[in-house]
Amino acid sequence: MNTHMLAQLLVQLIVIIGLSRLIGRGARWLGQPLVIAEVVAGIALGPSLLGLISPGALHWLFPADSMPFLKMLAEVGLVLFMFLIGLELDPKLLKGRGHSSVVISHSSIIVPFGLGAVAGALWLYKSLSDPSVPFSSFVLFMGVSMSITAFPVLARILTERGLMQSKLGAIAIACAAVDDVTAWCLLAFVVSLVRASSLAQAGLTTLFAVLYIGFMLMLVRPFLARLGARVASREGLTQNVVAGTLLLLLASAWTTERIGIHALFGAFLFGAVIPKEGGLATALAEKLEDVTVVLLLPVFFAFSGLRTQIGLLDTAQSWMTCGVIILLACLGKFGGSAVAARVTGLRWREAGAIGVLMNTRGLMELIVLNLGLDLGVISPTLFTMMVIMALVTTFMTSPVLKWMYPPEEQARDQMEQLAREPAGAAQTPSAYTVLLCVSHGQAGPGMAVLSRALSGERNEASLYALHLLSPDRALKARAEDALDVTGASGSALTPLMGRAEKLGLLVRTLSFVSSEPARDICRTAEAKRADLVLLGWHKPLFSQTVLGGTVHEVMQESTGTVAVLVDRGLSQVRRVLVPFVGSRHDRAALGIARRLLKQAGAEVTVLHVTSPEGAGTGRAQVDELFPADEGAAVKLKVVRHASPEEAALEEARAGYDLVVVGVGSEWGLEDRLFGVQRERIVRDAPGSLLLVRHPEGAPALARSPAPQGQQGATPDAAQVVGARS
Amino acid sequence: MHLGATLRLLRVDAGLSLRDLARRIGVSSAYLSRVEHGVDAPPTQERLTAIARELDVPPALLMDVANRVSPYVAGYLEDVPAAGTLLLDIARRKLTGAQLARVRAFLDAEFPLREARGDEPVPALGALLCAERVVVQLSCEDYADALDVASGRLASALPGLDVAGLAEGLRQREDETPSQVGNGVAVPHAFVPGAAPVAALVTLARPLKTDAPDGQPLRLVVALVDGHLGRARLMRLAHVARLAGRGLAHRLQGAEDSRQVLETLAELEALR
Repeated sequence: MNTHMLAQLLVQLIVIIGLSRLIGRGARWLGQPLVIAEVVAGIALGPSLLGLISPGALHWLFPADSMPFLKMLAEVGLVLFMFLIGLELDPKLLKGRGHSSVVISHSSIIVPFGLGAVAGALWLYKSLSDPSVPFSSFVLFMGVSMSITAFPVLARILTERGLMQSKLGAIAIACAAVDDVTAWCLLAFVVSLVRASSLAQAGLTTLFAVLYIGFMLMLVRPFLARLGARVASREGLTQNVVAGTLLLLLASAWTTERIGIHALFGAFLFGAVIPKEGGLATALAEKLEDVTVVLLLPVFFAFSGLRTQIGLLDTAQSWMTCGVIILLACLGKFGGSAVAARVTGLRWREAGAIGVLMNTRGLMELIVLNLGLDLGVISPTLFTMMVIMALVTTFMTSPVLKWMYPPEEQARDQMEQLAREPAGAAQTPSAYTVLLCVSHGQAGPGMAVLSRALSGERNEASLYALHLLSPDRALKARAEDALDVTGASGSALTPLMGRAEKLGLLVRTLSFVSSEPARDICRTAEAKRADLVLLGWHKPLFSQTVLGGTVHEVMQESTGTVAVLVDRGLSQVRRVLVPFVGSRHDRAALGIARRLLKQAGAEVTVLHVTSPEGAGTGRAQVDELFPADEGAAVKLKVVRHASPEEAALEEARAGYDLVVVGVGSEWGLEDRLFGVQRERIVRDAPGSLLLVRHPEGAPALARSPAPQGQQGATPDAAQVVGARS
Repeated sequence: MHLGATLRLLRVDAGLSLRDLARRIGVSSAYLSRVEHGVDAPPTQERLTAIARELDVPPALLMDVANRVSPYVAGYLEDVPAAGTLLLDIARRKLTGAQLARVRAFLDAEFPLREARGDEPVPALGALLCAERVVVQLSCEDYADALDVASGRLASALPGLDVAGLAEGLRQREDETPSQVGNGVAVPHAFVPGAAPVAALVTLARPLKTDAPDGQPLRLVVALVDGHLGRARLMRLAHVARLAGRGLAHRLQGAEDSRQVLETLAELEALR
């Protein structure tokens, strides 16, 4: 290359990048991904637009002898880009996504592949290909090119719509990842078929390819994992490591090129086997991303734009063909995945949204098409049609998604999902944390029974038992400790632990000397992020009231829900009564009852007491707290009574295992340091009671486990999002 | 006390990589790594001095951590052999820390130093503690629980700080480098921008089986929170490691209330 050529190349780069960014602004305004702008810029610079307006300018800007350099630059860019795509592909996305993802991803490949192949076989081969192209290669290639999904564009759209964390987004991204891998494998196979001169050679190529993949997975992957662990340990990604990785990348690309599948696969494979844990993948992606995506990738787009000759579609018939191809592509991809999604139980709207998302082909399609054109499998005319198809399917994704799955729908679905999730079987263990504070042994068994009911069959709660020793008792407890090897420290925790063991509960014990028990309970609850602080109660010597002394202090200081268990031989939690007037404590009590209903299948009765003159809002509030179908499982009794306390007491005598009641004057329950009031409901109710206090300003309700479970399901999805368009 | 674990703790806190430190003191990183894991013999005095210089802590402090006689003392003993006899006298009397402090006070009065002491005094641990931040006889099943309890006490000295967040900070640091310095002591530490240095001390009623560098079960947790990175913080960490080497965990094991803990600590720290 002489200096003139360098100047030429620099001018080309300036024009390409400048124009892409310029059109990119417009695309942004239309709410389209940047990739659209880059492709359009490429086409505009090619014979389709610039060539029409001023052929002289086209020749000056892109003379024929400059094309090889541009092509090489584009290829290097693609190798790096495929490496980045591989880097973003987290193997965790490929597995453990559940039944629906598997079904959807399979059908979203098979259906469009079948449609593409059939159309290729019956129609396009005759009309748009020439006999020198082997029939089988052409048919397979058409199948593959129809079944591509653009993983990066999809990830970008999902992030922009805030769908990444939703179930829909998780399914779509998992399917796209599976599609990606499958399509590349298929394509590698097709390329090997096309390049091979005989069947034996094709078989040999396939064999080598499989061997190479095995080599990468079995040998290179563990090595990289070790390298990743070293680099992640704050050594930083030195230039040596980057150079080493790039060398390996180039070697991998070279190997696959020599094997006879394309260099792109080696790059992709190498990116895919780099461990995603630790910082190596992220750090590498950061270093390479800008140069690749901003500088080199537009060159590739421009290059494919230069090869796109819309002028070739000069008859109405060819435009018709182009339209039919677009229709087929959408039908296969959208139809295939939407129907599959619907079959797995998603609503039509969600299923449609998945279909639209999977229909995004973006730049991946362009990569495939350029490969096909290079190999001579498809003609320039068909290439142009397919480029238009890729553009249209990518372009329509955002608006159609907005139309089919508007933000209101999205919000509604997410709300429903939150409500539905806890009942679902696929729910991850929740982080519902209960701190059991035991001061005397006798409270232990009842607390264990209640914890059992709160955590449910699947032990979905973290339980901590806290016993605080008063300073003067410390020595005694320590002597007992020395003998106690079972793990339950101190005699006070032994009854609790004994019962917990019988019930199959996992409880972590904690005990220490404390001169300010209330403060230490609150601090520990905060440190454990406890959702509920459960205090045991025993009849003290002097005070008559439950809500006095330490209980009062804890209730005043705690930033979360506090409940006191008054245990009168609680051995099961089957029938639960919640007297309800509507205070925040009552609502917290209802929240706990809701958990008992869900986790232990307890039968919940809500006693809504209204004043004789006022109208009741109870049903509405119960409906709000027990969404959808659960509301039906709750019995609501509305009573008009001048004294709520009296009414609750009457009902409590009807044989309940547990009465969950919020503190408050309406129930005769007020927490005071020195209680003189009578707390009749505590004294006279025959069964066990749970007195609940919810602090002001804290999130209203014992939160349902759904939000954490849901986030926990897709923590790695965020990592997939590249700043790419 | 485990010198290697302490060195690693200090190195990481100083923000030096293994390779950086190894290069600066002119040894291979493999050797330094072996020292940190206690596989290789402890470094010589010269190397310890070089490490102290790179970490920017007083060399004497590191010598103490390593239970080494400072080269300055060794030189003096060679020059004035009579001084050795005096040391022998002290040893025969089995003087405690407090008594040694009195001996030093006498020396200071009788033979005042003409120039200021070369080493600035190491900040005492006792000054960072108070009765409220001492938890005695904790029994728990997991080290994380001990961190939670310690952060509960620490948070009340750090207004506007959330307990769980602080516990998270301590755990995060712990994940970067294990904070156990051997002899049954762990020194979890966190960085809270702008905070004044505070400490919390937790004695364990039941020793915890953790993977300590010297295989001793954990009996004492000294949690440190600092608002500034750098020399003072490193010196505090090294100081706790030195106390661990002087049997802090063993001495505090019998303590039944926080006052007793603070008294024992004061005695151990009398001569820094």
